[in-house]
Amino acid sequence: MTVIGYSFEEAWASLRRSGRMALVSIGTIAIAFVTLGGFLLLSVNVQDVLDRWLEAAEISVYLNESASDADRVAVERFLRERQDVAAVEYVSKERALERFRADFPELADVTGSLTQNPFPSAIEVRLSPGEGAATTAERLARDVASKKGVADVQFDRTWLSRLIGIVASARVAAAVVAGILMLGAAFTVGAVVRLSLYARRDELEIMALVGAPFSYIRGPFVVEGLLLGGVGAAVALVGVRVMYSFAGQWLGSDIGGLAGEGQLRFLGVGEIALMLLAGVLVGAAAGTFASRAAHR
Amino acid sequence: MIETVNVTKEYGRDEYGVRELSMKVDKGEFAFLTGPSGAGKSTLLRLLLLQEKPTSGHVIINDRDLSTFTPAEVQAYRRTVGFVFQDFKLIASKTIFENVAFVLRVLGQPIEQQRRRTYQVLKWVGLQHRHNAYPLELSGGEQQRVAIARALVNEPHIMLADEPTGNLDPDLSLEVMNLFRDINASGTTVLVATHDRELIKWVGRRVIQLDHGQLAGSHPAAPSPHREAPGTAGPAT
Repeated sequence: MTVIGYSFEEAWASLRRSGRMALVSIGTIAIAFVTLGGFLLLSVNVQDVLDRWLEAAEISVYLNESASDADRVAVERFLRERQDVAAVEYVSKERALERFRADFPELADVTGSLTQNPFPSAIEVRLSPGEGAATTAERLARDVASKKGVADVQFDRTWLSRLIGIVASARVAAAVVAGILMLGAAFTVGAVVRLSLYARRDELEIMALVGAPFSYIRGPFVVEGLLLGGVGAAVALVGVRVMYSFAGQWLGSDIGGLAGEGQLRFLGVGEIALMLLAGVLVGAAAGTFASRAAHR
Repeated sequence: MIETVNVTKEYGRDEYGVRELSMKVDKGEFAFLTGPSGAGKSTLLRLLLLQEKPTSGHVIINDRDLSTFTPAEVQAYRRTVGFVFQDFKLIASKTIFENVAFVLRVLGQPIEQQRRRTYQVLKWVGLQHRHNAYPLELSGGEQQRVAIARALVNEPHIMLADEPTGNLDPDLSLEVMNLFRDINASGTTVLVATHDRELIKWVGRRVIQLDHGQLAGSHPAAPSPHREAPGTAGPAT
């Protein structure tokens, strides 16, 4: 029998013996990982929303009433020559008014009574997506503002950048909380493993005396931690999935409006694998640490 | 060969397990280690099993100083040593068969080999019919025979026993001693710690006498009287 087979067999037997204590341990790990999974779920969805908003974000370059066609063409050329600009579109005063009428038909009375078109002509700039786009856009907005014929530059990404900053800070805070919870979970796994160690002290003494390899002595305890961690993380994933379903029902319309209908998503395969792996690693590490005394 | 050279094991100020102890047991010899309680018998066996390290001096087995062993060498060495304790140290939750096979299992031996060798040694100690019983269902003598089977299952070169008959009545003690004689007859070096003088006299082998952790004497083998053997031959190998 290989050391892996032996370790799994003994770990399983030990978990069955531990019974309630093992369940408490799995529960503690599950709580830690539900928190982690919840943060992860929130994080991926917020990130998706931000990404969509970022993709849609534009710089609007408003032109003076007095700007000539040559000024406009010069500004357009300046923008098109830049690699970080994906698209440039000129929107005339007339088209801006048409858009407004189409977007706000309920205000037809107001627009109908206008004696002159109050909308300025503008050049809408769509930026290339990618890292550092926000910084690039700020610089672009600053540069284009100094061009002749430009009245004002509005940059949608400014507030988005601030939001991204807030989300990043929240993510760090969440990681710290999840880390603390995982540490607690690791201690619980360690306690269960130490109990197993105590229960099997006679076997361990004999194993040491007959010259059993360290892998046979410590293997079952590492595997026990690994199983506790893995099962705890799996239970947590089920919990997060249930929470996701309930949250979808309760907040579906609100979040749907914010993010776009049907665009909320559960954790992907990669994220699920990451959580399971984290559970297994935390458990195995706790088991390894707790079993140090096994062959002393 | 087992040899100690000026071995001292100090547990505290003026508290010695053994002190400046030098002695030898030849390869293939059967010797008794005797002396009153606190003489250092168990300490010496623990030193030989590398459960403890000497404070000073050298414990030498087959010309190698045990203090120079790496952890891997300690493991390899222990695989060549069988041990038997007064309290048997059987695992109560495992059957007799599992207790004996356990040694081979944790050494990674193939299952078929574990099974074959375990039945072989259980048969040799006369307990093959009890292989499914649990230790607490057996008498003291039977439990010690299981412990001997376990010590024997990996075919050790050295057999160490610490008061193996301490919990047994005289008849069972003789049975156990006969097993040790048979083990020795197959070439295994046997060192048995006991303070039972009658038993020593009955078995009739060299006696290493300890007192206050020091060598108090070494007496040659006395003539062995007629023996009542539970086994008819040496351990199956």
